[in-house]
Amino acid sequence: MKKIISVFSALILATAAIFAQNQKVTGTILDSGSGEPVPSVAVQLKGTSTYAMTNDLGEFSIEAPATGSLVVSCLGYHTAEVAINGLSELKIQLEQDKNILEDAIVVAYGTVSREANTGSVSTFKSEELAQVPVTSVDKMLAGKMAGVSITSGSGQPGSTSTIRVRGTSSINAGNEPLWVIDGIPVMNSDNRQMSSFGVGGGSSTTFLNPNDIESITVLKDAAAASVYGSRAANGVILVTTKSGKAGRAKFTARAKFGAQQLINDHNYRPLTGTELLDYLRTAAINGGYNPDDPTSDYYYPQTLLENGTTNWYKELTRVGFLQEYEVNATGGTDKASYYASVAYHSNEGVFYGVDYDRLTARINADMKLTRTLKTGTKINLSYADSNSGQMGDLYYSNPQYAMFGILPWTPIKNEDGSYNMDIAENSQTNPRANAEYDINNDKEYRLQGSMYLEWKPIKQLTFKTNNQVEFDFVQSRQMRHEYTHKGTATDFEYNNKDIRLTTSNTITYDDKFGDHSLRILVGQEAMRDKFDLLGAYSPGVDPAIPYPTTGNGETDQVDFNLIEETLLSFFGVADYNYHNRYYVQASVRADGSSLFGSKSKWGVFWSVSGSWNVMNENFMKSTRHWLSALKLRASYGVNGNNNIAAYRAYGTYSPINYAGATGMAPARPENPNLSWEKNKTWDLGLDLSFFDDRLTASGDIYFRKTTDMLLSKRVPYTTGFGSNFMNIGAIRNKGVEGQIEGVIIRNSDWYWSVGFNMSMNRSLVLDLADSEFLSVSDSRAGSNDSTPVRIAKGRRLYTFYTRDYYGVNPSTGDPLWYDENGALTSDVSKARYVYAGSPEAKATGGFNTTLSWKGLSLSAYFEFVAGNKVFVADQNIGFGADMNNNTTTGALNYWKQPGDTGVIPKPVAGCPSMAYRASTFNIQDGSYTRIKDITLSYSLPEKALKAIRMQGLRVYVSALNPYTFHNVKNVMDPELGALGYSMGASHPMTKSFVGGIEVSF
Amino acid sequence: MKNSKILYILAAAATLAVTGCEGFLTNDPPLQQSTQITLSSYTGLNKATYGAYYYIASTGWYGQSWVINAEMRSGNGKKDSYKNSNRCVAPYIWNYTPDATSGMWSYCYLTVAMCNNVIDNLEGKAGGDVTEQDLNNLKAECLFIRAFSHFCNVLTYGQPYTYCKKSAPKSLGVPYIYHTDPAGKPERETVISNYENIVKDLLEAEAIIDPSYVRAGTADAAATVNISTIQALLSRVYLYMGEWQKAADYATKVIDSKKYKMWTAEEYPDVWGKEKGSGEVIFEAYGNITNGAWGSWEDISYLTSPAGSGDPMAAKPLIALYEDGDVRLKTYRTDEKEESGLLWTAKYPGKGLNTPDANNVVIFRLSEMYLNRAEALVNGAQVEGATAWDDLNVITANRNASAYTSVGNVDIQNERRKELAWEGHYIYDLARWGKAVERNAADYPLCTANLNVPFPSNKWALPIPKSEIDVNKNLEQNPL
Repeated sequence: MKKIISVFSALILATAAIFAQNQKVTGTILDSGSGEPVPSVAVQLKGTSTYAMTNDLGEFSIEAPATGSLVVSCLGYHTAEVAINGLSELKIQLEQDKNILEDAIVVAYGTVSREANTGSVSTFKSEELAQVPVTSVDKMLAGKMAGVSITSGSGQPGSTSTIRVRGTSSINAGNEPLWVIDGIPVMNSDNRQMSSFGVGGGSSTTFLNPNDIESITVLKDAAAASVYGSRAANGVILVTTKSGKAGRAKFTARAKFGAQQLINDHNYRPLTGTELLDYLRTAAINGGYNPDDPTSDYYYPQTLLENGTTNWYKELTRVGFLQEYEVNATGGTDKASYYASVAYHSNEGVFYGVDYDRLTARINADMKLTRTLKTGTKINLSYADSNSGQMGDLYYSNPQYAMFGILPWTPIKNEDGSYNMDIAENSQTNPRANAEYDINNDKEYRLQGSMYLEWKPIKQLTFKTNNQVEFDFVQSRQMRHEYTHKGTATDFEYNNKDIRLTTSNTITYDDKFGDHSLRILVGQEAMRDKFDLLGAYSPGVDPAIPYPTTGNGETDQVDFNLIEETLLSFFGVADYNYHNRYYVQASVRADGSSLFGSKSKWGVFWSVSGSWNVMNENFMKSTRHWLSALKLRASYGVNGNNNIAAYRAYGTYSPINYAGATGMAPARPENPNLSWEKNKTWDLGLDLSFFDDRLTASGDIYFRKTTDMLLSKRVPYTTGFGSNFMNIGAIRNKGVEGQIEGVIIRNSDWYWSVGFNMSMNRSLVLDLADSEFLSVSDSRAGSNDSTPVRIAKGRRLYTFYTRDYYGVNPSTGDPLWYDENGALTSDVSKARYVYAGSPEAKATGGFNTTLSWKGLSLSAYFEFVAGNKVFVADQNIGFGADMNNNTTTGALNYWKQPGDTGVIPKPVAGCPSMAYRASTFNIQDGSYTRIKDITLSYSLPEKALKAIRMQGLRVYVSALNPYTFHNVKNVMDPELGALGYSMGASHPMTKSFVGGIEVSF
Repeated sequence: MKNSKILYILAAAATLAVTGCEGFLTNDPPLQQSTQITLSSYTGLNKATYGAYYYIASTGWYGQSWVINAEMRSGNGKKDSYKNSNRCVAPYIWNYTPDATSGMWSYCYLTVAMCNNVIDNLEGKAGGDVTEQDLNNLKAECLFIRAFSHFCNVLTYGQPYTYCKKSAPKSLGVPYIYHTDPAGKPERETVISNYENIVKDLLEAEAIIDPSYVRAGTADAAATVNISTIQALLSRVYLYMGEWQKAADYATKVIDSKKYKMWTAEEYPDVWGKEKGSGEVIFEAYGNITNGAWGSWEDISYLTSPAGSGDPMAAKPLIALYEDGDVRLKTYRTDEKEESGLLWTAKYPGKGLNTPDANNVVIFRLSEMYLNRAEALVNGAQVEGATAWDDLNVITANRNASAYTSVGNVDIQNERRKELAWEGHYIYDLARWGKAVERNAADYPLCTANLNVPFPSNKWALPIPKSEIDVNKNLEQNPL
C-alpha cells in the first residue's frame, strides 16, 4: 500500500570500491522537510542482521559491501532503501509519513485518511489542544466543534460538563457520548458521593491530563459511530493519547499559576444592610404593619444597623488559586518507543472549603517483538482529592445559597473572635464555620491500563487484540462537626469501586487491486462491569474520634449497593473505493446486553455511507489551482442507546426497613420487552478547501429520529405504581452545522488565522405514547414548586411550562396573571399555565482567531449561545414572603408609585399575593457570548534556543472566561446547564487569570 | 508454525465467547427479588405483608403530614413569623389546588396494591408448617391496611359520610381497589359505597384473624395489626358514619380486652417520644431514622420542634380550653429561650436518636375508645354498665381535670379536642359534626385566606391530584 517515495542520495566524497568486501560506510540521515538530522534511525544492511542506529546528530556507521544496499527505517517516516554503490559516505533524506503524522483521522477501530473519510467527524490535534491552559479535556473543547455542545451546571473545581453531540436524543437513557480512549470504550460515571456538581456530566475526562492527548475525534453521524452499536446514539468521542517518538529522549516541563474568581459580570449580590432595611420596612408598611412597633410581627427599627453590617458575599468567598506542574518525556528506537508524563494540578476554590487536587501519571510504550508481532501498553493512573462543601444543594451550609439569605446585620464572628453560630435566619448555620470544621471529601483513585498485541503475518492482514482493565475507587467522607451541628458529630464513610474489564479483538484485511481498494474488519468485544458501594452512617460519634467506631450501634446505618453489567458484541466494517474518487462504507454490529429484558437481549445496528471525491475527477483538473478539495458525503444508519440503569427489566420487590425488621415492597413492575432506544440518522455533508488549504470549510445537514424511547411513564397510582418504564415515544433532532477556517496572512514573520463554527439544532417531541407531556424532575428542585420544565408532544424537547404572568398592576404594584380566559387576575391560583419557550438554543458556536508575529502570538476564543430561554428560580426574591432573610439586588427594582411600569411587584410582608410562585416572570432570554480565552504567548526563536541548548521555551498569560455578554437578571452567570434552570444553589462559573511557562530540552 | 498457534488460540477464544453468551448476558438483580418469587411462598408473602405498613409511617401520611395538615386546617394549629420556614402554608390557608393538593392518593394506592398482591396470592400456600390460620392472619392484616388506606383517602378527597348520607348520597369518594390491575383506570365510587367496602373488609379481617395473633420480630408490637386494632378502626369508622350502637360496641370490645391501660396523670407528660407503644397505644406508626421512609428534616419531630422547622404552633383557642393544672398542658412547650410566648406540641419530642430525630405517631389509643363510646352513648347507643360521663371521667381522672357530672355533645366535643389534639382528629370530627372552621385574625397570624371555612362547602373535599386525572380520564374532579 505504501508508496515508495523518492530518496536522494548524494555524493560528497567518493572512492570507487574495487573489492567486493566489507568496508566502513558512514552517513547522515536528515528529515526531507526540515533538513534536521533524525536520531534513532535503524540502518540495516539488506538481507542481513547487521544494523546500526543513528546518534543525536543523525550520524551512523556500518560495515557493508560496496554493492549492498541499506534499509533505513524510522517510526513516522517512510522506509527507504538506498544502494551503497561503492560510496563510503552517504547523506540520506527521509520523507515523513504524512498518513501517520498529518492526514490520518482516528476513526472507529482504525485510522483513515481525511480523503477517504465518509462520515461526519470533527477532529482536534494536540497542537490545537495544547494552546489553552484548561484543566480538563471537556473544557478545552467547548465552543470549538460544530455540532458538539459542551455546557456545565457548575463552576466548581473538578466538576464535569454536559456534552451533547447534535442535540439531546433521549429523556431517560443517558445523553452523554461514548468515550473511547485508545480504542477501548471507557467508564463514564461520576462515582464521587460528596460532590454535588449539579446535573449531568460524565467523568471520563477528569482523570486525563489534556497534554497527554495526541488527538480527539468526535464521531457525529451514524456512518462514523454505528460500529459502536448500542452505545453510539449520542455520538462517540475517540481520544488517542501520545505515543513515543523515536529519537533521543525529549523532555518537556510545564508550570502555570493562576487566580480565580466567580463570573459575576453584572455584579449580582445580596443587599447591603441599608438597602435591606429599607426594603423590609417598605414590605412591612405595604403589609399594613408598623416596622417601628416592637409588638408588630414585622419589627424592623433603624437601630438594626447600629452594630454595623457584614458583607456575607465577601466573607464567604476568596480569590481562588490554581497551580499546575508537569513533566513528560518521550523517545525510543526503531524497536521500542515510550511516552511518559506526570502532572499535578491544584485548585483552591473561590468558596472556603472548596478545593481540588489531582495527580496524573501516564506511560505509553510500544515494542516490535518480531518482524510480524507488535505489542504495547498504555497505563494511566490518577488520584484526585476534592473538597466540595455543600455546593449545589439547598442547604444552609451551602455558601452560595446562604450568602443571599443571611441578614447583613448578623455578624460572622462574635466579639471573642469565635464564629457566630446564632443565625436564626439560616437555621443556626454559619457556612464559614462549616467550611472550617466540616469535611465533605472525595478521594478518587483511577487506573486505566491496556495492552495490545498485533500480528501482521502478511502485509494485508492484521490481527489485533486489545485488553483493558479499568479501576475506579472512590473514598468519600462527610463529617459534620459537633461545633457546627449543635453539639452532635456525625460521620459518613462511603467506599465504592467500579471495575471494568474489556476485550476487543479485530481482524483487518486491507488490499488494493489496481484502482480498487478494499478494507474489511471483523471484530468481537466483551465487557463486564461491576460496581459496589459500602457506606456507613454514624450519628453521634465521639467528636474526638469522629469515625464510626465510636458511633452508637443502634443508630448506625449501613448502605450497600451492587450493580453488574455485561455487554457482548460482534461487528464488521467494509470499506471500498474506486480510483480514490468513489468511496463506500458499510458497518454492522450485534450487541447483547444484560441491561435489557429477557425477550430483547440482542440488537443489530448498521450503517451505510458513501462519498464522492469530486476533486479527483479528471474534469476538475482546471480548477485545482484554486480549489484544492471538494467532497460530497452521505450516510444513513441505525444505532442505539443502552444507557440506562441496570435491572430495569425485572419486576421486583425490594427489602424495606420498618420498625426494626425487614419487609418487602414492590420496587418496579416487570418489563421483559425493555430494549434499546433506536436512533436513525441521515447525514449529508460537503467538504471544501481552497488555495492550497488556506481556506477550508465543511458543512452538514442531518436528520436524526429516536424511536422506542425509554420513558418512565406516569401511570395511575391505582395500578400500584406511580410510573412505569417502557420503550415508548419518539423524538427527532434535525440541524445544520458548519465550520470555516482560514489563514489570512502567512509569511515568514506574520500569521493570522480565523475560524468560525456554528450549529443549529431543532428538537421535536413526536410521541409520548398516551401522555401529552412529561414533567422533568430535577433533584435540586426541592419541594416548593416542582420543576417548570416539561417534555411536551409537538414541542421542543424541553419546554418551560408555568403560570402566565402579566406584570405589575401599575396602580397598586400588585402582580397580575392571565387566567384561563385571558383576563387579568390577581389570584395566583387562577393563573393559567402556558408553554413559554425552551432552554434549547437556536444556535450555538464559536469563533477564534490567532495573530502571531515571529515568536509572539495572541489568540482568542469566543463561544456563543443564542435564542435559548432560561428559568431563574432564585428563591431569594420573595417579594416580602420571607421577611427573615436577606434578598438580592434583583429584588430592588420594584413598584414604588402609581404609574411605575417595567418593575417587579412591590414587596408586601408575608406576600399574600404569592408573587413568588413560579411563573413566566422567571423566564428570560438566556443568550450569551462568552470570551472563553485570551492568550498572549511568546516562544523563544530557534537561534536563541540553540544557544541555551533547548528545543523550546514558551511563556504565556491567559484570561479564561474574562467577560460574558448577556442580559440575564438575578443570576451571576447565564450558563445554567442543559435544562437552563437555576435554583440559586449551584457553584457559579469561574473566571481565571493564568500565567505559565513551558520548556522542552 | 508460530502463526498457526496464534490462529488456534483465536479460534478457541471465539468459540468460548459464542458458547458463553446467554449466561454471560444474564445478571439477576442481586439486591432485589423478583415479584413472582416474593409472592410464591409464605415467607415471601409474610415479608410482603409486612412491607405494606411501610408508607403509613412516611412523612406523606402518619409520619407527618396526615397529622400536621389536619391540625393546621382545624384551627388547633397556627403559624407565626417568629418561626416560619414557609412549611404548612396550604393546609393553614386552605388553598389546595389540583396541582398542589394532598399526596394521600399515592400513598393509599401504593399501599393497597401491596395488600392486594398478598391477598390475591395466598391461595394454596398452606402446607408444611404453614397453616390456613397463618394465611388468614396475613390476609387479615392486609384487609385492615387496605380498609385503613381507603378510609384515609376518602376522608381526604370525599365529603364527610354524615353529610353525604343526609344531603348528598351521590357525592363521590374514591375508587375502592379490590384487585390491582396494571391496566386499570377505575372510576370514583360514592362516599357511601366506600364506607360500605371499608366495613366489609374490616368485618372479614375481624372474623378470620387469630384473636391472639401478634406479628413476631418487630421492634414495636403496637406498629402492627391485631384483633383490637381492627376493632378500634371499626369503632372509629362507625362513629364517623353516625352508627352509634356499633361504634359503642366496638369501643367496648377494645376496652374490655383489658390489653390497654390508661396513662395516669403522672405518666402522661412522659409517654411521648418512647421507643415503642405501651399503655394506651393500640396502633401507631413507628418512627426511626432506620425506617426506609424516615422523613429526615421533614420528620414530624423536627417540624413540630421550636428548635427545628417549628412552623406549626398551637393556637390560643385550643390552649384556652384546658383548665389550670390539666396535665395535658404539659404536652405543649415554649421555645428554648422562652421569648416568643408561643407554644408547640410536645407529643413528638423525638426519641433522642439524631438531629433530625424520629418519633412514633399514635393512630389509635384507649382514650379515643372511651371518647368514641361516650359520644355514641350520648347519641342513643346503649352499653350495659357504661355511661357517657363515666367514660369521660376515666379521661379527666387521669388528666388532673375536673370530673363531669352531666354530659352533652358540647362536652364530648371539647374533651375530644383537648385529649386528641395534635393527633390528627379534630378536622375530621368537625367535618362529621358538620361544623365550620372559625378563626379570628388575631389568634391566627399569617392566615391570609380562608380564616373561616363554612360547612358545607366544596373545600371539605380536597382536589384530586391533577397528575392522576391526567392519566386516568375516568376520574371526575371534585367541584372546586
